[in-house]
Amino acid sequence: MRSSSNERPGPGAFAAVAAIAAFFALFLFYPLVYVFNKSFIVNGRPTLEFFELLFKSPALRESIGNSLMIAAAVTLLSAALGLAFAWLLSRTDLPAKGLWSNLLLFPLILPPFVGAIGIRYVFGRFGMINILLMKAGIISEMNPIDWLGSPFWGVVILETLHLFPIMLLNISGSFALMDPSLEDAARSLGARGAALFRTVTAPLLMPGFFAGASIVFIWAMTDLGTPLLFEYRAVAPVQIFNAVQATQENALGYALVVAVLLITAAFFMLSKFVFARRRLDMPAFGRSAGRLVRLGLPGKVAVCAALAVFVLIALIPHVSVVLVSFSEKWFMSALPQEWTLDYYGKVFTHPMSYNSVKNSLALSGLAVIVTMAAGGTIAYLLARKKFKGQGILDACAMLPLAVPGVVLAFGYVQGFFGTSLDPRVNPVPLLVIGYAVRRLPLVVRALYAGFQQTGAALEEASASLGAGPAPTLRFITLPLIRANMLGAAILAFAFSMLEVSDSLILAMEEKFFPMTKAIYMLMARLGDGGMIASAMGVLGALLLAAALAAAQKLLGKKMGDLFRA
Amino acid sequence: MASVEFRDVTKRFGAVAAVDGISLTVERGELFFLLGPSGCGKTTALRMLAGFVEPDEGTILFDGRDVSRLPAHRRNVGMVFQTYALFPHMTVERNVEYGLRFRKTAAAERAARVAEALERTRLSGLGPRYPSELSGGQQQRVALARALAIQPEVLLLDEPLSNLDTKLRVEVREEIKRIHQEFKITAVYVTHDQDEALSLADRMAIMRNGRIEQAGTPAEIYAKPRNEFVAGFVGETNLLDGTAEPRGGAFGYATAAGWVPAQCEASRAIARISLRPECVRLGAPEGAPARGVVRRVSFFGGSVRVEVELENGATLSSVSLGADARLTWREGDAAGVYAEADNAVVLE
Repeated sequence: MRSSSNERPGPGAFAAVAAIAAFFALFLFYPLVYVFNKSFIVNGRPTLEFFELLFKSPALRESIGNSLMIAAAVTLLSAALGLAFAWLLSRTDLPAKGLWSNLLLFPLILPPFVGAIGIRYVFGRFGMINILLMKAGIISEMNPIDWLGSPFWGVVILETLHLFPIMLLNISGSFALMDPSLEDAARSLGARGAALFRTVTAPLLMPGFFAGASIVFIWAMTDLGTPLLFEYRAVAPVQIFNAVQATQENALGYALVVAVLLITAAFFMLSKFVFARRRLDMPAFGRSAGRLVRLGLPGKVAVCAALAVFVLIALIPHVSVVLVSFSEKWFMSALPQEWTLDYYGKVFTHPMSYNSVKNSLALSGLAVIVTMAAGGTIAYLLARKKFKGQGILDACAMLPLAVPGVVLAFGYVQGFFGTSLDPRVNPVPLLVIGYAVRRLPLVVRALYAGFQQTGAALEEASASLGAGPAPTLRFITLPLIRANMLGAAILAFAFSMLEVSDSLILAMEEKFFPMTKAIYMLMARLGDGGMIASAMGVLGALLLAAALAAAQKLLGKKMGDLFRA
Repeated sequence: MASVEFRDVTKRFGAVAAVDGISLTVERGELFFLLGPSGCGKTTALRMLAGFVEPDEGTILFDGRDVSRLPAHRRNVGMVFQTYALFPHMTVERNVEYGLRFRKTAAAERAARVAEALERTRLSGLGPRYPSELSGGQQQRVALARALAIQPEVLLLDEPLSNLDTKLRVEVREEIKRIHQEFKITAVYVTHDQDEALSLADRMAIMRNGRIEQAGTPAEIYAKPRNEFVAGFVGETNLLDGTAEPRGGAFGYATAAGWVPAQCEASRAIARISLRPECVRLGAPEGAPARGVVRRVSFFGGSVRVEVELENGATLSSVSLGADARLTWREGDAAGVYAEADNAVVLE
């Protein structure tokens, strides 16, 4: 039994806990409580009017239904892909695993709503596919195929292509943690094939599986950018977005937000406390390398071919955005007729895009400072102190995973109306805080892992050698978790640069637009808007790719843990 | 160098008293051992000396000064951690120098003291290496050098050998003994390994459930364990039931292995008796004070242990040096048991 006196929180720790509690109260709970209040209490009386409305209004019922179906479809497809790929990468003798693993994680770098821009050029009525089919004489020019006729599947496919890597990371993580001798033991007891998978492998994969699935489900259900660019209005996040835009206070908006929040919270709880409850940690001693399934030469060829085809499909949004960004002229042809670099220049000369890049850099930079300060404090308190309420602190830090961005942004707009933080007047403070809050789970996880790795004994050794708390922090703790700090900061920055919900909802005037809002607004403009937007999207994706590569180096195997619920 | 004293010290974690009212004095320059099974409170006691844990009750004194509330970094205590806790981002030199940085030691003297500490722990030449480039035994010595470089008043060692393999453990054990004698420093050493304690300690305390069961020199504790727990924890022993039976004017107990004198007038009618296996000799059954049948013969290289089932069903171990006993005794043989009754101990 070990516990140190400096684990007992002193006055400094109490102040830190109080500050963190105030931060959560103001920027996480207050907006949610405000929204709840507004939807349940009218004229000082509790009421369920709004919810009757929710069931009576076919439009709202439809949008919730559509969002649930999108989430379910994306989660199932991502889970199937993630499981298959994780198995291939972890349990077979597939050649070039490193390459495949990188290629399969690559789609993570492009926000699906940016991919949607490119998709319209490829699958539009006179996009690349139809033109090719026309040239081949398969379809007539009079009657092009409407590939995007169903925005539902467009959204599902784009989001799946973006989110399956999260399932892959989580399931691979579970495979890596699993002691292969367990499967060997089951085999020696007579289990084989499907029975082995069902009785031993699958149960051990469950925690990782559901940790990933809950993130994918919530993300898909509440993603605002993708349906917006497909002009798919009959989904909950777009309805919420419209409710914020409406000048008049919209009763339905509140009801919808509360409904979405309840659904995501229920799903999060279900996955966290029912499915993933039991931690299936396995002792690490004497771990054998595990037997790999032999694919055989024909199997290897077939699997590699299938993977190559899949990667090509998964990269269509990326490739098409890149094509659009370089195209001077692209009309009624399979590929752009003329090429140019101009739009990359225009990103930095066009007032809206240039301004938005500057805004995003500043907002993301500030957000990183806020989220590192808050996340660092929380991680330290969780890893190094012992006090009542640690579980609550941990849960609060992870709550942004369960609270959709659109919900929180909606709460900010309504809850801070008329205050000095009113985003209608100046959205900067709430954009910074919104970005910071959304990245908090990632930062807390990365830094907590750093503190865990470092271990309290090193800090005790430093104290026993005469170093007080400040020198110990400076010479021992911080240098040792520097990689985790840097990794977390880089990822937080890059994700903030590409954050969608807060940016789209909170930034209302052009001078405050961050990059994602500028991309959205530029898309709607005729002329070169789409090309500049694509160029911005490509730059954003490059930034995120570089950030993920750097973070992977800095955080090593811990990186998969950052995408867990 | 300072003396160390626990005065009625208690530390609770929740409802459990990890250390339960212990009082203990470690003299200047002594190598003192806290020995006990895991969870007995020995590590908590050590961490209270280091300043990582504050006692709930009682005081901790260094040379009579109350240090109970002094934080770790103001205590001038050197500690060797079970995991060594070497700073992985610093070279051996920087690790050893670290504590001197907070003691306003001039750079030249720092370098000299680092060199001295490395030399005396036989690490000269390894200064520029990182801990990850060292063997387990070398890391162990760096931890020791780092703790000694600050010239601590007290050196604390928390199971310092538990991460070494058996052969290295014996080597480093001797090294620690040598270094302790050379530095003449007060040292408190925590372990659950009785061999370490018996071979190194000037004095030791046996702990159980947060309390001290017995304190004394290794020889005292081995020869005169106070109770069944100590007798069983330190060394191997035979526990016998005895019934009070004065004999020839002396007080004593009758046991299955013969009559055992009691030092003082014990008033108890029955008692437990500890008889070390090396105090049990086997011989011809004829005329022996007790008899039994050899059930098991185990050979340990330098010694042989023979287990004999006595007529009352109890089993008694006898250990003798040399291999001849293995040749003499076979399972199933009838044996006479001759106990060195004077060396038997009546337990509390």
